[in-house]
Amino acid sequence: MNHKVIAKDGIREFIDGLIEEYRVFAPVEGKKILRLREISSGEEACLDFYNTKMSSKEALFPQNEVLFTYKKDREAIEKEATSPMKREQVLFGVRPCDAKGVTLTDVFFSSGEHRDQPYLEKRDRTAIVGLACNRPLNTCFCTSTGGSPFGKEGMDLLLVDLGERYLVEILTERGERLLGAAHGLRDATEEDMKLAQRLSNEADNAFSKELPTEGLSERLDGMFEDPIWDTIHQKCVGCGICTFVCPTCWCFDVVDEEKANGAIRIRLWDTCQLPLFTLQGSGFNPRPSGKERLRQRVMHKLNYFPKEFGSLACVGCGRCVRECPVNLDIREIIETIMSM
Amino acid sequence: MKVNAEEKGSKAKKGGNPDDGWEPKIIAFLCNWCSYAGADLAGISRLQYPPNIRVVRVPCSSRVSPYFIIKSLQQGWDGVLVSGCHPGDCHYISGNLVARRRFAVLKDMLDYMGIEPGRVSFSWVSAAEGERFSKVVAEVVEGVKALGPARRLVKVS
Amino acid sequence: MVGGEDKIREIAGRLLREGEVDLIIGYEKGTLPLRSTPSFIRDQNDLYKLIWDPTCDINLSKYLHGRDEKIGILAKGCDARSIVVCGSEGQIDMGKVVIIGLPCSGVIDRKKIEAEMEGREVLEATFADQSLVIRGEGFEEVLPIKGFMDDSCLSCRHRNPPVYDVLVGEPLPEITGANEYAEVDELESKSAEERWGYFVEEMGSCIRCYSCRNVCPMCYCKECFVDETMPAWFGKTNELTDTIIYHLVRAIHLTGRCVDCGACSRACPMDINLKALTKKAEKIARERFNFEVGLTTEEAPVLGVFKEDDSEEFII
Repeated sequence: MNHKVIAKDGIREFIDGLIEEYRVFAPVEGKKILRLREISSGEEACLDFYNTKMSSKEALFPQNEVLFTYKKDREAIEKEATSPMKREQVLFGVRPCDAKGVTLTDVFFSSGEHRDQPYLEKRDRTAIVGLACNRPLNTCFCTSTGGSPFGKEGMDLLLVDLGERYLVEILTERGERLLGAAHGLRDATEEDMKLAQRLSNEADNAFSKELPTEGLSERLDGMFEDPIWDTIHQKCVGCGICTFVCPTCWCFDVVDEEKANGAIRIRLWDTCQLPLFTLQGSGFNPRPSGKERLRQRVMHKLNYFPKEFGSLACVGCGRCVRECPVNLDIREIIETIMSM
Repeated sequence: MKVNAEEKGSKAKKGGNPDDGWEPKIIAFLCNWCSYAGADLAGISRLQYPPNIRVVRVPCSSRVSPYFIIKSLQQGWDGVLVSGCHPGDCHYISGNLVARRRFAVLKDMLDYMGIEPGRVSFSWVSAAEGERFSKVVAEVVEGVKALGPARRLVKVS
Repeated sequence: MVGGEDKIREIAGRLLREGEVDLIIGYEKGTLPLRSTPSFIRDQNDLYKLIWDPTCDINLSKYLHGRDEKIGILAKGCDARSIVVCGSEGQIDMGKVVIIGLPCSGVIDRKKIEAEMEGREVLEATFADQSLVIRGEGFEEVLPIKGFMDDSCLSCRHRNPPVYDVLVGEPLPEITGANEYAEVDELESKSAEERWGYFVEEMGSCIRCYSCRNVCPMCYCKECFVDETMPAWFGKTNELTDTIIYHLVRAIHLTGRCVDCGACSRACPMDINLKALTKKAEKIARERFNFEVGLTTEEAPVLGVFKEDDSEEFII
């Protein structure tokens, strides 16, 4: 039976059990904001929230990570790889939009000839325990991008808040193994399942609006030179916050930092919204102004990626909408494009 | 500008206690026309002063960008001294006067952020002031010694 | 402060009609409660979109960079001072800008309101006199606007733009007796150790997104110091020393240039208290160099000039 129930009181214990075997990341209430952080006890996890400020990409694709170090002398260059992850990790309390974002990031880092070792090494040893959204925010639009508040993509377990208990849906073998750390589980009854279904329907109906994303990708074909971009980009100040909080933005920069007799190579998050992103050594920049850069972001997420991989590279989490300092709203952009 | 990073990890750091033999390493940016000459005069006059400074000669104190000072702290230098001509005597007329404002702002911001005030020092030493130079260095070294090794801005990775 | 929209639309309309400007940059209603968004208007028929209320927090002067047209721009006191600074630094052609001055009694701080909501989502917000009416799922609250204003607004020195071409309405009385440096003073009264601890904690959550830099109208360098590679002065990782140095150097670069518009703190996704640094930079310019930024385009940048009797008490 792949639906169990665990009492809310039992969740902290479950997490504590997981911590004994795995590194566990969960939403933690910082001094000011909620963010996915490594925890050392179940008490630290916050499970009553809308969504974390930063997406779960932080745990799999860190803001900066050392790829390797090397020492060099007259004779040779000696490379020292970074040590692999010792323990497997669990991301606990990940919302369906973020989990879907992880699956899209998986596609990016594993497609083509060059599979990204640092990312995939972590990903293969990461389990995701999702938490369904009983109440989406006004800025959420996952149902418009092929997702759902009770979605299961990317997860090993899905928790549904039924009040004083959670329904636990086992989605993978790894998820089943995780449950070994839980005590006091019982099989889900029909009543539990009915309640979960009702909550799921309520959540689906709670969205303030559905965006017209049907045919969006096709509509954007041939719009590269359209004058609409001149007006859409106007208020963007190119700050790049959207790319930093986005679960499906994965562009990075690689820098070497010199040390005595060698260097360390570091990967950092980068943003296509800065002029430096495409500035070439010759001084020429194919994306010289904010217009080209904003167009790039919209086209990549809603046209290029779907054409190549079959899915919009946006999970409708709404973070860019909330964080943009000038209230540039991608939902508005989508509506504008579809109304043309 | 590359600072010799080996110095940072050298054995002299130890536990940071002068009783253990730890000696601070201080980088000194001296303007060519006054302070560097003053330091030279101190040497010629066989004046004794602590050997903890490493001199970098610059054409003028205004050549010293705040980046040099901050990067020095980041690389592990325990103290930074910048010394130029007295106001009014700059070889380039007003370099030190422009630099003075810059140094004031840097010092205020560093102090405000919590970097110990004794770490970064500024002085005006003329070419004739060999003795004064040795006194300035002694004062700076003593101050930095009392603070212990620089840790706050040091880059670890 | 609420109201005055008719006057704004009238002025903007006249400027467009008479060809004095080709473009009006102002504020319009945002897509979220408590938000406004920049409005770019070239057509008389769009003037109805312009609004003016305490959600109009954005510093619109950022949009003047790199534009060649004649622009009429709505500017609060802080925004007008940004325009003046950028004009005196040669980034904006003041001859092509018509400053529509807005006497301002303050903008709201969304982060304060969010904290007050304690996790509840705001679905609707309206202004009524001195109050803000917030509605959400199953609740309605009336908050005093003053209690939820941006801290800088509470001690604002320039509620009326010091430089403008046309003023919307009558000037407001300026605030007296407020200590705008209260937070800086408090930090200064602590020990170096305590201050270091404070900044370590604040900067610890920085994700190096550079939004603070990117929204700032004064940060317009084609190559930012942090992006320089030959030499690479400071690292781009979020190791604490690299992060603290980025903020330290940015604050130094803003000495005598920052007008405390608050764009950086509002933009920061990690809610870092950037004002603690920018306010200090401003204080240094005022106390050491007796310089108040953004009052006239004839001013010279504080770090670009010197006086024979500049203070040098810090020199050994």
